[in-house]
Amino acid sequence: MSEELLKAMAQSIIDGESEIAADLARQAIEAGLDPLTAISKGFVEGVNQVGDSFACGDVFLPELVMAGEAMKAAIAVLEPELKKRGAAREVLGKVVLATVEGDIHEIGKSLVGTMLTASGFEVFDLGVNVPADQILAKAEEVKADIIGLSALLTTTMVRQKEIIEAMDARGMRNRTKVMIGGAPVTSDWVEKIKADGYSEDAIGAVNAAKLLLDAPA
Amino acid sequence: MNNPLPPLEPIRSAYRLQYLTDEQLDQLQEATLDILENVGVKFPSEKALQVFSAHGAEVDHNTQIVKLERDLVFKAMKSVPRYFRMAARVPEYDLQLQDGTTYFTTDGCGVQVCDMDSGKIRPSTKADVGMMARVADYLPSIGFCWPMVSAQDHGGTAPLHEIDAGWNNSVKHVQSETIMGGRDCEYAVEMATVISGSREELRRRPPLSLVVCTIAPLMQDHAGIEGAMVMAQAGIPVGFLAMPCLGTTAPATHAGAVAMGDAEIISATVLMQLISPGAPVFHSLMQAWADPRSGGYVSYARDARSRYGVVEMAHHWGMPSLGACYGTDSIEAGTWQSAAEPALDPLLAGLTSPEIVTGMGLARTYTRLYPEQIILDEDLYQRARTYLMRMEVSPETLALDVIRAVGPGGHFLGQKHTREHIRTSLVRGVTHEFDSNGKYREPREVARQRVKWILENHHPAPLEKAQQDELTRILAAADRELA
Repeated sequence: MSEELLKAMAQSIIDGESEIAADLARQAIEAGLDPLTAISKGFVEGVNQVGDSFACGDVFLPELVMAGEAMKAAIAVLEPELKKRGAAREVLGKVVLATVEGDIHEIGKSLVGTMLTASGFEVFDLGVNVPADQILAKAEEVKADIIGLSALLTTTMVRQKEIIEAMDARGMRNRTKVMIGGAPVTSDWVEKIKADGYSEDAIGAVNAAKLLLDAPA
Repeated sequence: MNNPLPPLEPIRSAYRLQYLTDEQLDQLQEATLDILENVGVKFPSEKALQVFSAHGAEVDHNTQIVKLERDLVFKAMKSVPRYFRMAARVPEYDLQLQDGTTYFTTDGCGVQVCDMDSGKIRPSTKADVGMMARVADYLPSIGFCWPMVSAQDHGGTAPLHEIDAGWNNSVKHVQSETIMGGRDCEYAVEMATVISGSREELRRRPPLSLVVCTIAPLMQDHAGIEGAMVMAQAGIPVGFLAMPCLGTTAPATHAGAVAMGDAEIISATVLMQLISPGAPVFHSLMQAWADPRSGGYVSYARDARSRYGVVEMAHHWGMPSLGACYGTDSIEAGTWQSAAEPALDPLLAGLTSPEIVTGMGLARTYTRLYPEQIILDEDLYQRARTYLMRMEVSPETLALDVIRAVGPGGHFLGQKHTREHIRTSLVRGVTHEFDSNGKYREPREVARQRVKWILENHHPAPLEKAQQDELTRILAAADRELA
């Protein structure tokens, strides 16, 4: 029974079926299956298969995003059960993500969040137009490994610099790395504001995050 | 000494292409109206929401989503002027928008500059904005100037410094694509008034216009829309530019992306008309694509038909259109990619006849300036401009008497008619310059040399000292308040 259930879990991720994934997660809890087993032997198998297909060029970004969303739906059901049992899933790192104050462009940042989540990071997405204080407070609260800052406008990218300066002032840079992104962001800008990493797209962001935390690519 | 003012060379096409059928245009308009009525557009501005409420729109103050019934849309759209004037510092370069005439601008707003001598890439500055405004001022193909790069050495007030650099280095109309926010726009209005002389003259002959980007899907930017309201009330033309990205911020099909982007533009245009009936507004939609593997932004696909269909959408609504040309994804100037991607742009723009078009001179998807690229892009422009002129067939050009005189087996070099016409029959571009050995020169080198020549020799009439001082005073105040 549990073997079939685990296979169905993997398939729900491959198919990008969030509702089915959440439903299977609930079935697992009812059946008394260890939530960690459900994640690692069931849902993660699906994520890995989608990842492999993506690497081979057989599937594209929509499949990856839908698999990521289905994974999120399953984790949302299983996480409370994990906590109840005093267990925690293994994550590659904690990432606080936000689009900086004055900027409400969302898609790039959200795509990065989805890709990071699907790749095993725990993501705290604070949304758009987020003031520096709020970003730093959240990073301190969750002991973030990485802060990801998105800005799409030449007029708002200066906020990335201000946030990094504020992190310096608070002495946060040893604990927390900073990744930046957005259309006007260049390697010059990264160097100028002393960010730790950047990427021009969501897939590259996952690799950049792994690199910053010395996680396997 | 200041340079004379040679006439501008807009595209005046003898031909017209209809991309979309009347039925398709109606279908697209119906889709826009459906979106406006049933999905709505988010306006994160209390001022905008109040205006919509006062005019009977369905406003949800919690979600900031506004839904517009078609009656309200059509009523508001009635007051949009079909044509208006974009004035210059000198009346000779005023652009009176009209059917069949297409004025091009420079591209914007890049963040990097490649130094022509060292080849090094560096962040852009206000001096770069001024440098390229001077080049644009010289080129007859450029009807008006977008600041090409960001004045990053001026932080939060960079957009105001960009228009300052524009007016100090060009007598042409300046169109900003970066000024955002109510206060910033109030400063911009003050600066434009210095150029015009008075608020009345500013309204009559605005030397400034503004492009405001909407945010796909179906949102307006807080600072963008508040700034647009300030500009519209001052009589400064405002354009709304939707940039739906197929597959990420828009449906992955052209028609859906166009309808959605159109809804963003029309909702903002309605707002402008509600607060200031008759406000000059233009329509612009430049769709892009999401790379299906990386999610990266792709400006050019091999099939970019909808770049031109949207011009007809603007005209269907009775609005002038800011068409989308150029802005190659190539990271380098002078490559096959940088030429092939925009090669058909000016021709197709000329055939669909948007009133104004952006923009020449940037690479790396609008982010990197190679100063010589504007010359290469202009070469494509001039080819299109010529192709779209009707061929002259007259007794003089048929030259039958000359053909009779030469007869079979002769040659035409000894004919007065040949002597008279041979100088103009072969029109040379940057690909036709020769070196001392009679070999074709590398066009990119020719372009670099031309930019250097322009910078050494072209000196547009400077602003009067009092105007310069006043702009400096306003900028200092803006720097104190907003930087």
